Amino acid sequence: MTDILLLVGRALRDVLRQPTAVVPNIAISLFFLFVYNSGLLSVSRLPGFRGSYLGFILPVSIVSAAVGGAGLAGQTLIRDITDGYFTKLLLTPTRRLAVIWGPMVASAVVLTVQVVAVVALALAMGLRIATGPAGFLLVLLLAFLWGMGFAGYAAFVALRTRNAAAAQAATFAFFPLIFLSYTFVPQEYVTAAWLRAAATVNPTTYVFDAMRALLNGGWDTGTVATGLAVTLGFATLTGVLALWAARAATRTAA
Amino acid sequence: MPDGDRSIATRALTRRFGDLVAVDAVDLEVAPGEVFGFLGPNGAGKSTLVRMLTTILAPSAGSARVAGHDVVHEAGAVRRAIGVALQEVGLDPLMTARELLTLQARLFDAGRAEAAARAERLLAMVGLDEVPPATRVGTYSGGMKRRLDLALALVHDPRVLFLDEPTTGLDPASRAAIWREVRRLNEEDGVTIFLTTQYLEEADRLADRVAIIDRGRIAALGTPASLKAEVGEEVVELELPDPDAARRAADVLAGLAPRRSLSGARARLYVTGAAALVPEVVRRLDAAGLPLRGLSVTQPTLDDVFLRVTGSGPAGAEAKEATP
Repeated sequence: MTDILLLVGRALRDVLRQPTAVVPNIAISLFFLFVYNSGLLSVSRLPGFRGSYLGFILPVSIVSAAVGGAGLAGQTLIRDITDGYFTKLLLTPTRRLAVIWGPMVASAVVLTVQVVAVVALALAMGLRIATGPAGFLLVLLLAFLWGMGFAGYAAFVALRTRNAAAAQAATFAFFPLIFLSYTFVPQEYVTAAWLRAAATVNPTTYVFDAMRALLNGGWDTGTVATGLAVTLGFATLTGVLALWAARAATRTAA
Repeated sequence: MPDGDRSIATRALTRRFGDLVAVDAVDLEVAPGEVFGFLGPNGAGKSTLVRMLTTILAPSAGSARVAGHDVVHEAGAVRRAIGVALQEVGLDPLMTARELLTLQARLFDAGRAEAAARAERLLAMVGLDEVPPATRVGTYSGGMKRRLDLALALVHDPRVLFLDEPTTGLDPASRAAIWREVRRLNEEDGVTIFLTTQYLEEADRLADRVAIIDRGRIAALGTPASLKAEVGEEVVELELPDPDAARRAADVLAGLAPRRSLSGARARLYVTGAAALVPEVVRRLDAAGLPLRGLSVTQPTLDDVFLRVTGSGPAGAEAKEATP
């Protein structure tokens, strides 16, 4: 455990030393929340819409913010590989898991801070969290795990390509994950069958559902549990891929 | 001595990259307390071998034990026993030297206070203790980075130290400082040192034994003195106006010196009893109409050994070797 804490601490300290790597991300997610809410507010006047549009769109802002977090994890790993520091860490008895979890957990922590900022803005704009402080903590947990999931994918691509441009390009995979879902309007109003099919297989849908239940609906245990399970599964899958890539690095490195 | 008691022992160690055999069935033994110099032209397989011995590259075939542990199956135990400074330094430019050293020590299981104490001791040892503490490593000069990288390799008092081209690209003062430190570690602390280098002078000064690797295979192995003795007792070096004249001179003198090498406009003859031969050398060159720009008689160096075994200079200089 010590090695993980040491390397997460180190990655977080590096983040604080490059504020330009996180400040734009935070600004963008605040901006998104503001414009989505202002531009699409009328959706909440549709018949059958439950709760506030702010609570509905907030998860989109959170999940979008995870893209920036993943980029951060990927870029940190690429930077370590380029600087030779990644190899230096591989030469220590440290577990490979700790070497990749350093940047991944750090990026998920940054994301969690970002979510606190976004939720603070939403509260200032009039959001009332249906499930109260406990629900808020669950939203943070979902965001953290989702951030770990995206970061694992970014770490996997970074370790396989060892190329900053490729790792950056790979974050495009996040766009279908965010937008092929009930992103801006509730399920009832989406009529395109292909989009409904895509949304059903898209894990993001279940994260949106869980967060929306917590923010807007109330304690819907089934939805929240499904969201947590899907998020945990996604984070485990990409985490295992990243770990495999880190182990393979010592088999194939030129 | 059984393999387990040796600092390094390899058995038919091999690494292939596709069709390229970078390291080809290398058998090597290094005794505890030895300084072992590993020489070879660029791309000969030096770094590949170091990466396998230091557990960060898996062998394609064969095996290796370092500090008594198998590099594949006991990689963790090997990592605890070795210190490694690779050719490319591995530093996080956003951190300070103390942060890097303390973190490294803690990753090797030192406690917080112990890690801080080691960082201070190592900074003093490599002469970086005067640098303002808040200075980030990214602003260090190349020589300072190399010294810090060496300090990082020593943070857990390793028994075997791998130095991959530790002085490449350094100015003479930094190079001398590294040499002093390597010698001190070996003599005072008894650290076994595995040193790769392109600088033959470096191997000659530091190494007890030297191996020369060429195209993945060990081409020569022995003490610097014995390797030099194999080349010949003395070297007559001739300087001619151009490489073509040097080549012709070497041909003209084939009867006098069966072993010769060429390097640019210079021809080197490996002989015994140089003083008696020199007048005849001058006469024959004169008769062939080859103007001599300079002539000197020296002792063979590791460069000569290197030229002989690899057929080229350490930096890839053109050379030709002729034997009867």
